[in-house]
Amino acid sequence: MLFTRGVCRISSKFLRNRSFSQTLLASHRLSIIIPEHGHSSPDTHKGYVCRGTTYSFSSPVFGGFRHHHLYHQSSSVVEEELDPFSLVADELSLLSNKLRAMVVAEVPKLASAAEYFFKRGVEGKQFRPTILLLMATALNVRVPEALAAESADIISSELRVRQRGIAEITEMIHVASLLHDDVLDDADTRRGVGSLNFVMGNKISVLAGDFLLSRACVALAALKNTEVVSLLATVVEHLVTGETMQMTSTTDQRHSMDYYMQKTYYKTASLISNSCKAVALLAGQSAEVAMLAFEYGKNLGLAFQLIDDVLDFTGTSASLGKGSLSDIRHGIITAPILFAMEEFPQLRNVVRQLEKDPTNVDIALEYLGKSNGIQRTRELAMEHANLAAAAIGSLPETDDEDVKRSRRALIDLTHRVITRNK
Amino acid sequence: MVVAEVPKLASAAEYFFKRGVEGKQFRPTILLLMATALNVRVTDALAAESADIVPSELRVRQRGIAEITEMIHVASLLHDDVLDDADTRRGVGSLNFVMGNKISVLAGDFLLSRACVALAALKNTEVVSLLATVVEHLVTGETMQMTSTTDQRHSMDYYMQKTYYKTASLISNSCKAIALLAGQSAEVAMLAYEYGKNLGLAFQLIDDVLDFTGTSASLGKGSLSDISHGIITAPILFAMEEFPQLRTVVNQLEKDPTNVDIALEYLGKSKGIQRTRELAIEHANLAAAAIGSLPETDDEDVKRSRRALIDLTHRVISRNK
Repeated sequence: MLFTRGVCRISSKFLRNRSFSQTLLASHRLSIIIPEHGHSSPDTHKGYVCRGTTYSFSSPVFGGFRHHHLYHQSSSVVEEELDPFSLVADELSLLSNKLRAMVVAEVPKLASAAEYFFKRGVEGKQFRPTILLLMATALNVRVPEALAAESADIISSELRVRQRGIAEITEMIHVASLLHDDVLDDADTRRGVGSLNFVMGNKISVLAGDFLLSRACVALAALKNTEVVSLLATVVEHLVTGETMQMTSTTDQRHSMDYYMQKTYYKTASLISNSCKAVALLAGQSAEVAMLAFEYGKNLGLAFQLIDDVLDFTGTSASLGKGSLSDIRHGIITAPILFAMEEFPQLRNVVRQLEKDPTNVDIALEYLGKSNGIQRTRELAMEHANLAAAAIGSLPETDDEDVKRSRRALIDLTHRVITRNK
Repeated sequence: MVVAEVPKLASAAEYFFKRGVEGKQFRPTILLLMATALNVRVTDALAAESADIVPSELRVRQRGIAEITEMIHVASLLHDDVLDDADTRRGVGSLNFVMGNKISVLAGDFLLSRACVALAALKNTEVVSLLATVVEHLVTGETMQMTSTTDQRHSMDYYMQKTYYKTASLISNSCKAIALLAGQSAEVAMLAYEYGKNLGLAFQLIDDVLDFTGTSASLGKGSLSDISHGIITAPILFAMEEFPQLRTVVNQLEKDPTNVDIALEYLGKSKGIQRTRELAIEHANLAAAAIGSLPETDDEDVKRSRRALIDLTHRVISRNK
């Protein structure tokens, strides 16, 4: 039985009613993958924000991609609908509550600042914690003989608590970097609300970012695993390096695909890859398995960012120019333009003048339209998504249904990052 | 350690580590002395084994604490200068003044991240925990300063708590970390902590006095920068206990600069300066006592370092700039 790509994202509220989703999905169990129309949620999407672009998984899928990768399921177990987010929804809310408790500060103003992005409604999509919780289950090594003896409640086991700790730490590091980035970029809004620096000022935002970082370090130390501490400390360094690469690059560097991919790794993928690896290490997995977890996170992160770049141009339509165009208007040159510059060297000059003369944006878009830039970026994203899925496929065999389900969910995510359209 | 891949970040990060502007390196001095003062020499029986390797590896690690501490300290200076819109620091233009706020925030973050990586490399999670707490304290102290209510600003307790967070926590916790790395007992680690804490508090209290007295024993020759920025320090807090009317003056400090002169008058009439010095001496003595309580030793180097640490407790009091 072929594993069908799950229907596009339905908000988790809908999916509490599992029978509804099962009905919806039953009609889509085909052996041929076709673009599917999903049910768009009426509630405002909770956007996951990456560098000023918001997306949501909740809209119908357009576009004409074919799947390059299908995951064969060997058992004949009837498949349930598979929404990665709902699989971990309960645990995610445990995590959100814990996060809110962890960022409580003595000084009231610091407390309001620190918890600003952890409050209900603005905690974002929690993309990263979802991945990490799924990865934790996907790597769950269950010893059958000990099964009876040990607590069947996986969620409260000590290992699980520690792995949730990685997810919490990751979220704190992520939000800390958002707070500082917004100060650096003079941003007004974030996650659909005023940015913290806009609401409370730059000073408290810098301080709150520092505070979250220090809380993350304390939580890291409490895990008493120095390799994990090292991994996540490196992530912080990468975030800073990536941001600086973006701020201070020379013209040649800005025109280089290698530089761009390196920067993207630092800014987006490193956090996901290293925290996936940390989850594996906490679970006592071998270096090979830890590396597979790392590769999943890395390739997923890269695929995500590349599609993000495309969506900034295409938005909710497959045609150009309907996106927010915020990258190019800020003079940030992303993958589609870089590819286009390979085909049309004259585009380089246009791109240099972007900030001086806004009409250059239109000229650049023209070149982009004539080029294969968008298509090649999508292809590169799919390559990375496939690599991520392959990493999961290479994990050691298991009979455990929960483990298998989480692995399917992780693979499903590699499809969703490609097919999302906002 | 602060060499970065990205050139601009490199110039920013090393800005305060270049020769000539690295500051007095007060903190690293204390930590290196503490490392020696706690040095447990291997016995003769063990000398035959590669006795040099273990002690020197320990020393490298303890130096690591000193380096990490300096990075955290400079990172907090960079961020503080951004927060305070400062123009100068250590006699040169502040980084934010020279290169802009953005790169200063980033450079501070970079130094913090390098400190985290170096911390992780020590492979001692209690030490990681201690120094992560320091960062939290630095932030809390700065926020306390930024956001206090009037009552809080007039409270000596609040002021001492803030001073602990902003100044003493870094020194106390890094001293403790030195002790832990050396495999010392919890009691010895606590003595190291007490030394650092009391030395730090004494240092800050004298700093407060000097801001009024400068290089002369009389008032008003100091830079008066605290009071001009509306920052109320120990001498004024003591004076306010004697002269409640000073509270009203102090509330108006930033509105009307002539209030500074009025405040100085009250301060001169009060025992504020003297009581602050006395409190500083109390803390300096506590610091010296902590060293005196360390386990006995015959080692000359160890004894010499301990005398030096005690000597420091005198110097923080007697310095006049």
